[in-house]
Amino acid sequence: MKRWLPVLPLSAALIFPLLKVSPYLLHIATLIFIWAFIATAWSYMGRFGLVSLGHGAFIGIGAYTAGLMFNHLALSPWVGMLLGGGLAALLALLVGWACFRFGVMGDYFALLTLALGEIVSLLLVAFREQTGGSLGFTLKRVGTSWLYLQFEDKTHFYYVALGFLVGALLLWRWIDRSKMQKALRAIGEDEVAAATLGVTTIHYKLRVTMISAFVAAMGGVLYAQYVTYLNPHTLAGVGPSLDIAFKAILGGMFSLWGPTVGTGIIVLLEEYIRVNYGAKYIGLSQIAYGIALVSLIIFLPKGIYGSLEEKLRRKRVLPKT
Amino acid sequence: MLEVQGIDVFYGEFQALFNMSLEVREQETVITVGPNGAGKSTLLRAISGLLPCRNGSIRFLGQAVHNLQAHRIVELGIAHVPEGGRVFPHLTVLENLKIGSYIRKARGAADRNLGEIYQLFPRLAERRLQLADTLSGGERQMLAIARSLMSGPRLILLDEPSSGLAPLVVGMLFDFISRIKSQGYSILMVEQNVRKALELSDRAYLLESGRVRLQGTREEFSQESYIRQAYLGL
Amino acid sequence: MEILLLNALANGILLGGVLALLAFGLNLIFGVVKVIHMAYGQCVMLGMYLIYTLRSIYEVPLLAASAVAVAAMAIWGALLHLLVIRPLLGVERLNQLLALAGLIIVFENLAHVIWGADLRGVRVDLPVVSLGNLFLKTSNLLAFLGALAVLGILYFVLQRTYVGLAIRAIAQDTECARLMGIDPGRIYLLTLTIGGALTGLIAAFFSPIYSVHPHFGGSFTLMAFIIVVLGGMGNLAGGFLGAFIIGVVTSVAAVFTSTEVAEILALVIFILVVLVRPQGLLGARGAR
Repeated sequence: MKRWLPVLPLSAALIFPLLKVSPYLLHIATLIFIWAFIATAWSYMGRFGLVSLGHGAFIGIGAYTAGLMFNHLALSPWVGMLLGGGLAALLALLVGWACFRFGVMGDYFALLTLALGEIVSLLLVAFREQTGGSLGFTLKRVGTSWLYLQFEDKTHFYYVALGFLVGALLLWRWIDRSKMQKALRAIGEDEVAAATLGVTTIHYKLRVTMISAFVAAMGGVLYAQYVTYLNPHTLAGVGPSLDIAFKAILGGMFSLWGPTVGTGIIVLLEEYIRVNYGAKYIGLSQIAYGIALVSLIIFLPKGIYGSLEEKLRRKRVLPKT
Repeated sequence: MLEVQGIDVFYGEFQALFNMSLEVREQETVITVGPNGAGKSTLLRAISGLLPCRNGSIRFLGQAVHNLQAHRIVELGIAHVPEGGRVFPHLTVLENLKIGSYIRKARGAADRNLGEIYQLFPRLAERRLQLADTLSGGERQMLAIARSLMSGPRLILLDEPSSGLAPLVVGMLFDFISRIKSQGYSILMVEQNVRKALELSDRAYLLESGRVRLQGTREEFSQESYIRQAYLGL
Repeated sequence: MEILLLNALANGILLGGVLALLAFGLNLIFGVVKVIHMAYGQCVMLGMYLIYTLRSIYEVPLLAASAVAVAAMAIWGALLHLLVIRPLLGVERLNQLLALAGLIIVFENLAHVIWGADLRGVRVDLPVVSLGNLFLKTSNLLAFLGALAVLGILYFVLQRTYVGLAIRAIAQDTECARLMGIDPGRIYLLTLTIGGALTGLIAAFFSPIYSVHPHFGGSFTLMAFIIVVLGGMGNLAGGFLGAFIIGVVTSVAAVFTSTEVAEILALVIFILVVLVRPQGLLGARGAR
């Protein structure tokens, strides 16, 4: 029974565009899928105690690599995605290795990655000849093209984003089943004990960090392709980095569906306030979301979906005992 | 003066004290002995308010103190010298003594108390501008005891004052404690060095696994065969 | 060339003075409450907006506006303690960090909603002081001297008063401090209030120098972290030294390259210090 539960939301998502919904609703749903994809990637490492506040670095690298390659060399973003992901993973390897080698963990890890995200953002601004600096640049339009991942009909991108999100969730499951998960869970609980048990901690941490960076970078490409505009302040730096982490934490980074739920709540809240109170007060939704987040960490440290799931699980266990 | 009545104390889920009762009278020196993990330090921490009591009561000079926070209990006249002295390492000797008189009613007498303490511990006067972490272990312990006097207490709780000190220094330290005792302070002391502590004491308690196993006067205690065998090595 | 370097050095030192005040506030809070105040720079930003509003819209004299800002930010700091920091005292360090980072979003958007995204500045026309080839803006010089004076007063309070002693004692051994009759709750509240007042003061020093925008706090928060980590978390003397190092490095680098490169340089120093010497240049052993 439980195995088939995910089919429900998935089929709902598949049918959704067939209901002749407005392009606006499709647009919101697509945004949710893309950011949920990125937030899920973030949680690959976040849930093992590797809380990064610098994932903006990875989405920025992915988006800019693919975007520049496309604009100047007409390289397909599918290839750009792999290139950008590879670069992001390389950076993750470098920084991750240094962090784990020198035992940087917890809040120091968070601060260090925060700086990393900001460095990438500043670099993107500094190379303004190529990147357009603070103003960013737009992607060349080619009409509808699967090769260049651009569509005139919103429905196409909706399905593409959905496909990516499902892939990220499946990857989560794969990590769950792999040997990596056991080792990382042991590390998350007690690193010293895990090390004495012979778990090569650095190896597994690096692997999950690189996967997370690679997938996040793919998400960055996806987002850039969708909005066809790249800007260092929306794709790198402190703002987006915190955003990604908070979406996952708000929903619950320890649960498969947590990051998706968190992203959904935040994007919908943002849109609701924007529509009802106009663009002038767009910050209001962010304020509400910031306050919600702070209260959540104080009162529900496992996140919205995570706490819900825990409650359900407890209920399920009770009759047996 | 101090009446501990049937307290239960927990560290999280782990119960460290079971229905513990103990009494210290005016101007009395009471020692508690027992193996490691018997709950001796826990008892002192409960009295000074660092740990809450789940059941039972602690009364000091007729007032219930088991619900008060640590900083309120100091004001009532109980000074706790924690294990190892725990002086503030980056404060000077003088600053450590001064912080001992932090509570309002002690501030007025701070200068006078300081003078008396320097007479009692001339070593501290010599080192008054040194940082506390440059002191030797024995000096640190003395400083901690002297610091507790600065609050003008009626009752002093001493947690293993001799632990980790060389035998010669231990002798000096017990001299200081007996001098303090002779000034009329009440003392409740936890000590590993049972023989030396017994010499100083009026009464004693033996704690084992969080319960009082034996209690009595100094004479009764030193006659007791279990104590003689297990703790005095006779 | 030499003149350029000389001026960059001098301005770096002047900037270092105000940064030292910023680092002092963060260090004090970290040393006493053991919490990393992620939104500290954003508090400075709010203080600057307050001064701007009082000055430009209600035409309050700059000095009076600054005084109001200091008082208001002190209350703001105390409120933050009661509403956010105190409930988080027992929880994991990482959760504290994330909650306080959440405040960044709240504060920046608050500023955005109230004042918009445009640059807002207080116009002050002060002459430039010149010493030979050295040209210093009076506002920078005043900020530097003011910051040093405030640091001097704070140093005196920490060294010579019972409250200062209690703050240092709590930073070194909280439990033992309680046995001295010190109420940690009161000292925490006081620390956050002082920390808040400092953000108001820094805002007053910055107002004649910089225009403020909603993301103004971000770069200064990061800068303050760099300094604090460089000097060793909680180490007040280290923070003082770190502030001048970073002040000089960034202003010299900014003259010879660009502001972005200067900031990148500072961030790279930060990462290297976290990796190789997390206890800081002078080693962190509690607030002295």
